[in-house]
Amino acid sequence: MKRQFSDPQLNFLVGINVLILVAATVLSHGDFLDVYNFQSMASQLPELALLAIGVSLAMIAGNGGIDLSGLGMANLAGVVAATVVPLLVDADATPWGYTGMFVVVALVTGLLGGLLNGWLIAGVGLTPILCTLGTQLIFTGAAVVLSKGSSVRLASAEPMSMIGNENLFGVPIPFIIFMVVLLAIGWLLRYSPFGIRLFLLGTNAKAARYAGIPGTRMLVTTYALCGVLASLAGVIIAARTASVKADYGSSYLLIAILVAVMAGVRPQGGYGRMVCLFFSATALQLLSSTFNLLDISNFFRDCAWGLLLLCFLASARINLADYRLFTPRKSATLAQSPPGSTNK
Amino acid sequence: MLTKTKCAAAIIALGTLSVAGVLHAQNKKPVDIVTVVKITGMSWFNRMEVGVKEFGAANVGVVNARQIGPAQSDAAQQQRLVEDLVAKKVDAIAVVSMDPLTLEPVLKRALDRGIKVVTHEADNQKNTLVDIEAFDNTAYGARLNERLAECMGKTGKWSSLLGSLGSQSQVQWADGGANNAKKYPKMTLVDAKNETANDAEKAYGKAKEILRKHPDIKGFQGSSSLDVLGIGRAIEEAGLTGKICVYGTGLPSEAAKFLESGAVGGIAFWDPKDAGIMMNKAALMLVQGKTITNGMDMGVPGYNAVTVKKGPGVGIIVTGKAWVEVDKSNYKKYAF
Repeated sequence: MKRQFSDPQLNFLVGINVLILVAATVLSHGDFLDVYNFQSMASQLPELALLAIGVSLAMIAGNGGIDLSGLGMANLAGVVAATVVPLLVDADATPWGYTGMFVVVALVTGLLGGLLNGWLIAGVGLTPILCTLGTQLIFTGAAVVLSKGSSVRLASAEPMSMIGNENLFGVPIPFIIFMVVLLAIGWLLRYSPFGIRLFLLGTNAKAARYAGIPGTRMLVTTYALCGVLASLAGVIIAARTASVKADYGSSYLLIAILVAVMAGVRPQGGYGRMVCLFFSATALQLLSSTFNLLDISNFFRDCAWGLLLLCFLASARINLADYRLFTPRKSATLAQSPPGSTNK
Repeated sequence: MLTKTKCAAAIIALGTLSVAGVLHAQNKKPVDIVTVVKITGMSWFNRMEVGVKEFGAANVGVVNARQIGPAQSDAAQQQRLVEDLVAKKVDAIAVVSMDPLTLEPVLKRALDRGIKVVTHEADNQKNTLVDIEAFDNTAYGARLNERLAECMGKTGKWSSLLGSLGSQSQVQWADGGANNAKKYPKMTLVDAKNETANDAEKAYGKAKEILRKHPDIKGFQGSSSLDVLGIGRAIEEAGLTGKICVYGTGLPSEAAKFLESGAVGGIAFWDPKDAGIMMNKAALMLVQGKTITNGMDMGVPGYNAVTVKKGPGVGIIVTGKAWVEVDKSNYKKYAF
């Protein structure tokens, strides 16, 4: 706890947020500080940020971990739910039943997809980046087949559109969902045995193995969690657009990775803070909305995101504690057997 | 050292935003109309932007018209742009939907906030006040066929090609042509609606097949903009230039070669510039509280007597006759 204000990444991200906020307010002559504007930004943020949490978890797990299939999973979960649920529940008769069923079917789809990733990576031993690239194509392909390539309109159920478009005490519901998930994952990483093991596993897979950490099970659980988070993003997307589409948000994948990297999640594994992820995601959203508010080209926005990332890396580069980041580290893979074991 | 770098980083970030501030035009009082297209930087929408700017220039002080669009072809990015415009509370949004369904909730929020919404090429959009359609598909197909019939002397065999049977508009064009040809008893349609998969190479192959099967064929009607390219090439190779009539949808820049050689008699298309002007005009009328009525002259080429019908939602669908017909003599006027 005493380190609370000594995290340079966090300080930098908070500073950037404040800076953008002040700049946007000045440049827009105060228009930016409008309750509706903040509600609008808060409801745009979650779908992307949930995907970024998934990417972060996979990165923290180490072993070259990354989840490229998050977006495909989100769309597939939405498409499966939108095609299957109307066959089970009549939306007009029981709108709550429809919504509940939609969420359940989507989350189960996400869980199964995540387990598939986990099994392929931990069980079969595929490299995460290649494995999730493959499953991303499978998920997107399956969604295209199910939806025949066009977007599918959701049945009109009041609770469903509430999830995407209503506010609770002035806070958009997607944002509340996102905050709950963020806090839960943050707690999990920091205080639960699972989180501690995950950091250890990500830092040094070999040492974790000797310490008796069940690597395979940890990885499967992590990727399953990524899948569930992605499908939750899928539910929010479906609720917010009142439709599902196989190729919605095709630009999100790289942005989600950008959010994770900018949050200081270490691509080699073993480190990442959810509070940083939150501020990293809000920084991108603030910047993006500022530019739209000021009529600045979208190409310039991409360029500014790149600049922001470079600024961030520059600020991290000079931090001596993180200096090791740029020296090659020895790391072991999970598949490696401990010395002394004769089989394999 | 640490603080120095941080300061530098902060200065760069601030610099980014100040550049942004310079780019930002000063706030004006006029009606704020924003056209949101599917993607920025594509020639079709660049041409539309010409129209948007022309409309803005013709109404200086009255409107502030501009066009924006996502940098990537993604419905999610377009949705976010519209979302921010709603938060900004512009006066009117004119949108060429990437995917009409995806935009429904955000356009509903726009309407709830009192923003006027105009759409283009989205006759299934519910949350819009006015949807602009360049033309009625059947009428367009019939008009293409009429030109073909005149060229053929209203006699002989003809065939039609289209990109895919799944493309609703192209099927309507081909059917519209076939219906028109029924007026002329001496015209016979053979092997109707050949699929070319929106591929000039496939169109070329199909046209060669048809030429072999029907050596006495007199005309072709193409639907996809690539159809005429394939047919033209097949006819040139067979040495039948000038003996067979070819009409279809096409882009002047692509079809120029065949228009020059005479292998393609004429093409038709619609001009996104006019659609851009038309959308902004409709948006301005909505803001001023005027309504578009059936048969109205909008003062935009092709929209001189528009058809108005009720849309699927609260709004109306305004349909023009905004196709542009060109042949060898005048295709150079359209540089796209």
